[in-house]
Parts: sequence; structure tokens; C-alpha cells
Amino acid sequence: MAGSANGGGLYLATSLPDALAALAERGAAGAPMAGATWIMRRPDGRAYVGLSRIAALRRIAVEPDQVRIGACATHAELAAALADLPECRVLAEAAGRSANPSVRAVATVGGNLCAHDFAAADLVPALLCLDAAVEVTGPGGTERLSLADFLAMRAGLEPGRVLTELIVPRQAVRSAHTRLPLRVAGDYPVAMVSLAATVDGGGRVEAVRLAVGSVEPVARRWPELEERLQGQALDPDSVAQAAKGLLDGFQARDGVEVPGSYRVRVLPALVRRAVAAALA
Amino acid sequence: MAMQITVNGEARTIAAAPMTPLVEVLREELFLTGAKQACSEGFCGACTVLVDDQPVAACLLPVGLVEGRAVRTVESLGTAGDGLSPLQAAMLEHDAVQCGMCFPGILMALTGLLERRPNASEAEIRSALAGNICRCTGYERIIEAALAASAALRQPEGATP
Repeated sequence: MAGSANGGGLYLATSLPDALAALAERGAAGAPMAGATWIMRRPDGRAYVGLSRIAALRRIAVEPDQVRIGACATHAELAAALADLPECRVLAEAAGRSANPSVRAVATVGGNLCAHDFAAADLVPALLCLDAAVEVTGPGGTERLSLADFLAMRAGLEPGRVLTELIVPRQAVRSAHTRLPLRVAGDYPVAMVSLAATVDGGGRVEAVRLAVGSVEPVARRWPELEERLQGQALDPDSVAQAAKGLLDGFQARDGVEVPGSYRVRVLPALVRRAVAAALA
Repeated sequence: MAMQITVNGEARTIAAAPMTPLVEVLREELFLTGAKQACSEGFCGACTVLVDDQPVAACLLPVGLVEGRAVRTVESLGTAGDGLSPLQAAMLEHDAVQCGMCFPGILMALTGLLERRPNASEAEIRSALAGNICRCTGYERIIEAALAASAALRQPEGATP
């Protein structure tokens, strides 16, 4: 059966050391698998090592200064765990509204971050605007990386190294996740904006992080707009107006659903909605 | 290597390779043809079944990940002979079914919701159906029927509204 669409095999690991040993044994033919929702769209006959039954990788721990999220927590589990944490609202919204309930029940946080050919992953911009870090574990131990650094290297991640945990700092930010699917229900968003900001007593921006997803092949921060908003009033219309003048830097991807230019053109409206939602 | 899963309350031994989508195993090995394999990308919801009481897209779930778990398909609900479930009865009452392609998935998505939240609101019902596409009905009668089923579930046995 080796090489056939469904024949590459699946080993369900019982612990992280067990998974790392199984991946080492399979070498280049192997690959880690969590919820499988992305892999199953184009199964490629690799020898998969299933991580989703490893209890330690499913844990979500809310600590005083940070939230530690196991890579195999599902979108639904993450949304539920963050429901009462206002400073993580952008992430709860991204986890709770992506795809549809049947996919959110299975698709994992780690899978969403590791799917390097999936531009419309909701969690990525949300985690970028919360300044999240990730931990990658392999035969040489555990390494901590910023999410942006992980995104830059993930396509070349060796199969023996596994994304094990996300670390989200808890900061007193106002935040929101906005997305524009062409159909309201269940569609991939053509563009997304995630926002996290702190404002002073006069309603002016002290610090802001804005991330854009689904526009370029990989989600990223929007540094020009962040800089422009520094010290300004956090007002939906004026922020949208500022965004309109800062669209030149996007290399948007064309798709069957919309041309790239459309993804860019809707960004000011998404920014307006994000600011309004963050202030609400 | 054979694996065991529970399907509609019965322990079944599965011969298919572990990366085979659950929906294919249900249909082609167990001959449970209610769940439909349509888009194979988790968009349409025609393959929705319950795994450990949770609605999932059976097209994106390798059967190997279901080992030792409990699957329920539309065939586990009532039949005209042995009595329809309150949800099925409400769908019949509201004339909510047209071609039927999407319906096994819609019934399982809503069965999962109503078991968890018998008091489900209209917003919760709409949100639970976000991944179930119907090209015939326009959804409104399905929502009305689900609301009626939720009202019936709230009503104690034999009580009159």
C-alpha cells in the first residue's frame, strides 16, 4: 500500500518522546499529524505520526502572565478556554469563528500554524497581534521562537521537529479579529485584520499591533499603519482613512474567489470594523 | 492491522487503511450510506457525523484517529417504523426536506447541538449549521423545524404547550 493515497500509514503516538522516536525512525518519509483536516484535503502517502492523543499537547494553561496553549488543542477548545479572558478576545474570536463547527471541533492550533500553504489561517494574524511565541521540540531539545520567525522557517521544518506549544503574553489590550468571507457561513475569508492596542486616558494609542491575514501568502504585521497610529486617537473612521494611504506595500495573492487587488481594497473597511469592535 | 471503532452502539472491526476518510469507511465498508461524500474539503457538511457526541466532517477525519471512539450516523436516529426523533418529526412536520443530499449531515449537526443545548436559540442553530450547505430549501424551514424541535425537547413528556 506504500505510496497510495491512503496507504502511508498512521501511528498514534502516546507521549511526546514516543512521537519524536517514531518520527526519527521514519525520517524523511514521516510527518507529524494532529487533527488532519488540512492534510486530508490532499493526502500524500507519507507515514504519519498522530499527535492528537498526547494529553500534554492538548493542555491550555492560563497563568498570571501568559497563556500556554498546547499545539494539539482544537479551535473549539481554545475558544472555550479563552471565553472569559478579555485580553485574549482577538484570539477567542479567531478560534471561535474560523471555518465551521465540525472543522473547529477537530482542527488544531498547531496544525493551523504549520499549514504553510494555507494563507487564510485565522489564528495566525490573531497570534501575531498578541505577540505570541512558539516552542518547537526535536531530538536536540526545545527551542523558543517568535511567531514571525516560526512562520519564516516553518516550510523547511524537518519532520522530526514538532511544534509543541504557543505562549501568549497576557497584556491589558483592547483587541478584535475581523474577517471578510464572501459568504457569511463557513467560507475562507478573503482578508482578515487582527488588532491589539492599549490607549491612554485620553483615548490615544500608546501601543498597537495590527496583523493582516489572507491577503499575502503568509500573514504579517502592518508596521506602516502601526507607526502612523502611535499617539493618535483610536477612532474607527480616522484609522480607516490612515489605512487607505498605506496600502502600497501589500503583494496580494490572486485567487479563484477574488483578485489580489480586492483583498487590499477591503482592508481599510476591515480596519474600521476592527477598531470599532475593539472599542465596543 | 485491524482496528476497532464503535458505530451506532456496535463494536466494529475495520479493515481499511488508517488514513482512509471515515466517511469512505462508513459508506463502503459498513454500508451506512446516509453520510454523503461530496466536497471532501470540509465545506459542505453532507458527511457530518457525531464522534464522541461532537459533530465532525467525516471526509477530513482519517479512520485511524477514530480508533476506540464512538461514531453515530444518521442511521442511529429513528425510522418511520420505530418512531422518529423529535428533530426528525419536526423536519417532517415543517416539510423541511427537499432533495435530501444535505439532510443526513444537517440532522447530525443539529442532533449534536440539541443534545448539548436543548434550549438552543435561533442564533445558535444558525451558527451550528454554518458548515452545512443546502442548495434547495433556503434554510428557513430547517431553522423553524429545529426551533420547534428545541421547544418540544424543553416540554416535559406528555405536557401540553
